[in-house]
Amino acid sequence: MTVSWFENWLSLLFMPLLLTGLVNRVKSLWSGRRGPPLLQPAYDVLKLLRKSPVYSATTTPLFRIAPWVFLATACASALVVPLCGLRPIASFPFDFVWFAYVWALGRVAIVLAALDTGSAFEGMGAARESTFSTVLEPVLFLVAAALCSRAGTHTLHVALRFEADGAVLLRVCAVLALLIVLQVEASRMPVDDPSTHLELTMVHEVMVLDHSGADLAAIQLGAAIKLFVGTSMIAALLNPWAAAGGALGLAANLALSALVAVLLGTIESLVARLKLRSVPNYIGIALGLGAMALLLGAWGAVSAP
Amino acid sequence: MPSFLLSVPLLVVGALLAVGLRSNRASAVVALATQAGACLLVLLSVGPPLFGGGAIELLWPWPPPITTIPFRVDALGAFFLSWSLPMTLLGTLYAVGYLRPSFASGRQGGTHFALLNLVALSFVLIYSVQNALVFLLGWEVAAVAAWLLVIWEYRSQKIRFAGFNYLVSTHVGLFVLVAAFMLLHSKTASMDFASFGSFLQRPSPARGTIFLLLGVAFALKSAFFPFHTWLPRAHAAAPAHVSALMSGVIHKAGLFGFLRFTLLMGRPEEWMGWTVLIFGLLSAFFGVLYTSTQRDLKRLLGYSSTENVGIAALGFGLGYLGWSWGVPALGLLGFAGGLWHVLNHAIFKCLLFYAAGAVYRAAHSVDLERLGGLAKRLPRTAALFLIGTLAGSALPPFNTLLSEFIIYMGLLSGQGPSPEANVVLVVAAAGLAFVGAVSALSGARAFGISFLGQPRDDRVPVGAEPPGSMLVPMLCHAGLALACGLAPQLGLNMVRSSLGLFPFFTPLELERVLAPLAGLVYASRLLALFLLVAGLVRWRQGLAARRGPTWGCGYQAGSPRMQYTGSSFSEHFSRIFDSCMPALRRERIASEIFPQQPGQLATHHADAVEQRIFEVLARGEDAVTEVSERIPGQPRFAFAAGLCALLIIGAIAWESFR
Repeated sequence: MTVSWFENWLSLLFMPLLLTGLVNRVKSLWSGRRGPPLLQPAYDVLKLLRKSPVYSATTTPLFRIAPWVFLATACASALVVPLCGLRPIASFPFDFVWFAYVWALGRVAIVLAALDTGSAFEGMGAARESTFSTVLEPVLFLVAAALCSRAGTHTLHVALRFEADGAVLLRVCAVLALLIVLQVEASRMPVDDPSTHLELTMVHEVMVLDHSGADLAAIQLGAAIKLFVGTSMIAALLNPWAAAGGALGLAANLALSALVAVLLGTIESLVARLKLRSVPNYIGIALGLGAMALLLGAWGAVSAP
Repeated sequence: MPSFLLSVPLLVVGALLAVGLRSNRASAVVALATQAGACLLVLLSVGPPLFGGGAIELLWPWPPPITTIPFRVDALGAFFLSWSLPMTLLGTLYAVGYLRPSFASGRQGGTHFALLNLVALSFVLIYSVQNALVFLLGWEVAAVAAWLLVIWEYRSQKIRFAGFNYLVSTHVGLFVLVAAFMLLHSKTASMDFASFGSFLQRPSPARGTIFLLLGVAFALKSAFFPFHTWLPRAHAAAPAHVSALMSGVIHKAGLFGFLRFTLLMGRPEEWMGWTVLIFGLLSAFFGVLYTSTQRDLKRLLGYSSTENVGIAALGFGLGYLGWSWGVPALGLLGFAGGLWHVLNHAIFKCLLFYAAGAVYRAAHSVDLERLGGLAKRLPRTAALFLIGTLAGSALPPFNTLLSEFIIYMGLLSGQGPSPEANVVLVVAAAGLAFVGAVSALSGARAFGISFLGQPRDDRVPVGAEPPGSMLVPMLCHAGLALACGLAPQLGLNMVRSSLGLFPFFTPLELERVLAPLAGLVYASRLLALFLLVAGLVRWRQGLAARRGPTWGCGYQAGSPRMQYTGSSFSEHFSRIFDSCMPALRRERIASEIFPQQPGQLATHHADAVEQRIFEVLARGEDAVTEVSERIPGQPRFAFAAGLCALLIIGAIAWESFR
């Protein structure tokens, strides 16, 4: 148990910013550049932590607290996810409900901070983020319930565990749905363009325009943790060596996480951003996949002896 | 006579004195004192049934046609009594501060306080009496008192219309309730709930009909979709404390009635469970959709009531299903979650309405498009409204998350008898997740647009923070929201004995099914601790930080009018659901390159159900006029109408003489 604790904490400390760097590196390679070093996001966060922030005179104390709420919720969601494949730091039955609701809390904090600046651009981003989340949240529940009904459990990490039981289609649906969830939550193409320079087209980035210094570092770290949490959920679903535990399972899981990050970067390099009006339809695909996974899970529960 | 009934004469005396006394201050003191006394009496006597003791029973002889009035406070009645009266007391305290400007201009408030006393009185009757006639009396007292409380500003035609709308709707509900009671009376020749119960427990064709009639009557009282049309109007028109009491406390009587008859009816059939579940889900879904587009803060909160009673009904439906399937775990989770959600909703909804009232007192407007930047002027109100918003969106670490979590546990447990049933339950859980996300959107919108940013309209004058008499009730509710979120035993202990009334209850089973709650609560506490520390640290550090203007993305001439408004915030979302939320749009777009006339755009979201009702009513009225105009002119019509009337009279006479 202590080992599991240790490795989870350690990966939570090092992996998130590394994965963000990896996605950026993949993007630069696809566009024919060498790109920044893998650890560039980490250097950025460290640099920002040392800087003193500037606050808009319009803002209230809520604006200063919100980034840290966001970071706290990202960490709180990471607690229940098996970051290294086998066991999470903490778990309890129906912890995926907690997972969804702490993400919601973080989102509300960032949305309120954006509205706090009184900037029309940031309000725009806030409205988009809230709108997308309404379609997104049911997906999480459908996928989690489908996986739970197949595994006969109520905890997230057991439901995510790889089992060679032939429920391939269910797992494919779940992985694809989670991938779309991840693209939305980690503000990736084709939902959101993290590196654009036009505020009108941004979603997540435009909400944090006014944050600076350590606050911005908290937001970047939180976003990176959410990315890592998402990739490691998908990795756990695909990792056949996780159940064995030990170094092999751990290494395989982290490698799969990295692979998912590479996939995200590749999609981002090859696909154009969707029109904002069609993003809910794109999330609708995830909803359909989740529903399909649910039906497959229910059927699987019948056909199993 | 047990002490809780002593509160009835006490409240009546208080009401009479409040009307009779000349000064508003004296009326307020009398109302507060008598309500406090009544609270004390009631709380002292409901303690035993609430915490596991036996029910209080009493027969009171009364002249015919009633002969005896049975009173019985069991755990369910005790649960509702234990918070209804104290919350009414807090509402009365709030009224003292809220109505002060009216009093200062010479308005007499005696009747208002008397009516608040009568509301408290109606609770004592409704939640304890076991006789249908007296129950209807309490029901009617609550309805009429609420109506008179709503039209406090009776000089405005709009408010009188809202009040009348409420009065008509609540009486339509009363007719349905009377019909159900008459049907029961015709079958049992009695007006006592006990004999109703022994009839309802036997399978009979009338059972389903009575269930549906009662369901409609109680749904109208609690403003379920599609019976909610009176609610947003009434809540927008009423003074803040009346809205709070109506939404949080008075209309919970509908849910109480539903549970009371559920217990009398005994084991339900499966279709009843599905009906309640789907009805609740629809209510939650449409209620929350409408909250996302409202521009009147109090209308928005009104729709949120429809959403939350829907969530409670979702829990009850799950409980029904568990009971009919013989799965005690589902029954316990459903009823525990639903009952607890009723209490949680009362806690945070009163807080939100009180805070909205404080906004109204300070800015004389609750129009989202005109407010903005209030957090700087009213920091305490802002903090309290934020707590209410977070609690209302079921976010950790507040109370509502726990009750919704229990309902989720039931829906996602996969303990239904067939895979199809389980799939439907999971879809209901996904629906509840959608409702949660949309209520987070609406909450962030309501708080963010009105309290954050900069003032949108210079013409809105912003006054001072509310006085202590308004702050204290808000603080009590906010404290409860947080305390119940961090210490679930507070809420659970109140619900536990009510669950004991269900035949499938066993303490061990309840412990077992609620065990996962411990993990959630532990996590919530940790998060709350972290948020507290981080908040304090950042707040202190930020005090000395540098300030600058908001980043304008290169544009130098921004003005507060250019901020995102409530309509623009929900525009994208409402377009996804425009088939359920018809938007009325009036626009005149500037046409040429150098437009001579300014462009205009006004959007407004009407209530689809209400629109439809008005259309049908108008058409129906036309049809009636058309027929009635033809009767005198054409002898054939007159003859046919006379024949119909004769037939009806003859049939009634035949029935009564037979």
